[in-house]
Amino acid sequence: MRIAVLNNCVPFLRGGAEHLAEALTLKLAEYGHSAVLVRVPFRWHPSRHVGEHMLACRLMKLPNIDRAIALKFPAYYVPQANKVVWLLHQFRQAYDLLGTAEGLSENSEGRETREMVVQADNSYLPEARKIFANSHITAERLNRYNHLQATVLYPPLLRHDHFTCAEYGDYVLVPGRINEAKRQRLIVEAVHHCKSNVKVVVAGSPERLEDAKTIRSLIGNDDRVLFINRFISEDEKVELFSHALACAYLPYDEDSYGYVTLESYFSKKPVITCTDSGGIGLLVKDEITGLVVPPDPLRLALAMDRLFDDKVRARRMGEAGCELVESMNITWDHVIESLTK
Amino acid sequence: MKIVIATSITPFVEGGSTYIVDWLGKKLEACGHEVDILRFPFSEDHAEVLQQLLAFRLLDLSEHGDRLISIRWPSHLLRHPKKVVWFIHHYRSAYDLWGTEYQSIPNTPEGIALRDAVIAADNVGLCEAYRVFCNSSVVKDRLEKFNSVDAEVLYPPLLSPELFYSAGSGDYLLYLGRLTRHKRQWLAIESLRLTTSRVRLVIAGQPEPGSEFYAEELQGLVTRNGLESRVEILARWIPEDEKRSLFANCLAVVYFPLDEDSYGYISLEACAASKPLLTTTDAGGVNELIIDGANGFVTPPDPELIAHGMDDLYNDRDAAREMGEAGQERIAELGINWARVLQRLLS
Repeated sequence: MRIAVLNNCVPFLRGGAEHLAEALTLKLAEYGHSAVLVRVPFRWHPSRHVGEHMLACRLMKLPNIDRAIALKFPAYYVPQANKVVWLLHQFRQAYDLLGTAEGLSENSEGRETREMVVQADNSYLPEARKIFANSHITAERLNRYNHLQATVLYPPLLRHDHFTCAEYGDYVLVPGRINEAKRQRLIVEAVHHCKSNVKVVVAGSPERLEDAKTIRSLIGNDDRVLFINRFISEDEKVELFSHALACAYLPYDEDSYGYVTLESYFSKKPVITCTDSGGIGLLVKDEITGLVVPPDPLRLALAMDRLFDDKVRARRMGEAGCELVESMNITWDHVIESLTK
Repeated sequence: MKIVIATSITPFVEGGSTYIVDWLGKKLEACGHEVDILRFPFSEDHAEVLQQLLAFRLLDLSEHGDRLISIRWPSHLLRHPKKVVWFIHHYRSAYDLWGTEYQSIPNTPEGIALRDAVIAADNVGLCEAYRVFCNSSVVKDRLEKFNSVDAEVLYPPLLSPELFYSAGSGDYLLYLGRLTRHKRQWLAIESLRLTTSRVRLVIAGQPEPGSEFYAEELQGLVTRNGLESRVEILARWIPEDEKRSLFANCLAVVYFPLDEDSYGYISLEACAASKPLLTTTDAGGVNELIIDGANGFVTPPDPELIAHGMDDLYNDRDAAREMGEAGQERIAELGINWARVLQRLLS
């Protein structure tokens, strides 16, 4: 089949969704399809731009294409007779984030935009042959706000067979893009309270310069924290995971379990996460595959000390995480079959 | 600099308009710029054109990158405060093809309104641009005539011309490129039939989607004229190293498109491989590059006259070699190189 993968984009910005869209396009080709990734720019601030970009998507055409696989708002509005939606997220500012600092404003413009988004989702999402969602949280939200049914389809890593476990070392790894919502600062604050000799490696490129500054000032002179303030290559990441004691992934209210969690488990390392981290809870079971604690530096410090003092336990949790992931059919075989049926 | 390159594509179709984008991106990155390329699918169907023009206009890139470089129509409608347009062709049905047999827009009140809307949209997108460049004099003249826009000609170079080479003069003429009717590979076969020397012809390239019959027609033409031993048709994708070898060993390159806007990369490749190029007076942009008798032959599109040119190339190899070597000079003379392209686009 000739397939278009539809995603939105902010030029020059790459995160989990971009990574997944590229991986999906590559995998479709590997499974014998012709695939092209279509990236539609999206500007949502100020909110009057939202409608313009929704309309632009609605007016786009996809010649020479037998099927579209749409991932995100508003790219999933692009008409195509044979479209499936694999929903990563809707325009959350109009739904669950409404009324928060990140949501649409409570003025007439905000309300109109919200109304328009909800109406459009209600009208156009059902055009798809089938709707999948990347997590049960995304699926539940679609059901709660739009009364639409989605089947959960978990996104796999592009590849995972290169992750290894060399040892349970003395550091907790905090990988990924550095920003406010990912809360790397919590773990840096926590390490000051640790009683053991556990160390922390924060590795990733900051979203904004201030994000790096915050981390650096929190670290101060504490030589227990190593800050690798740049993009980490795949090989470096594999190496860092291989020698880590555990991984900490503490985003605020994430929809899905996150690639970091999968990478940690394929490296057989336990994951420390927070009670308010959202979808990560699907894979991180407290005391079984990792530790789930409140977003409090003191409690995080305790969790790190426990793993450092009992590496046998750390190993057991990491291995349990790996078994859990392998039991869940998070594979490209399953994804490609579902999306091209 | 952070640079967004925007273009339109027909998914899964490669050609000059996709190479210019890919290569520009590579060259900008090699110079240390951060590049993001946006490729928007676009349907050429006239009934769908207007709504797509609006879609392009609604997309706002004004907050991203220090510069937007728009390449293929209608990406010049995207909004950006520092938009540079490198215009490679109009929606020709609304312009120079209007009133000809190639006009695809119907000649109805709706069709006329569509044509006028296309022209009006182009005027807006081009006039607001920070700079407008184009890829040939043909396009420059059209921009001036129809849109009153004064564009600067900026010839697109090959990605790596240094990879092409000559391995002496073989006995065959090479016609390389997508197999599609308006490239007139059939004219090369018709002409070869009238040659008196033993010159051969190799036609190589992928049939254009929807033009698969055309490849069969070409083969039929060869068979009907009993030219099987002198004409070889490779109707498939030609990998880069095979392509360079075909260029290296040929006698000369032939190229007979009908009224192309630009010279076509095959012409640059011929020059890079130090081979003369045989083309026709009605081929369009290629006539900006090839000077009759200097770096090739330019003849009227008449099989008999073309056949003469073919025989001349075969019978006087020394002259052919000299003309081939003049190709590089012509490229230098026209300033076809990346240093110049980047300097102008970022000025």
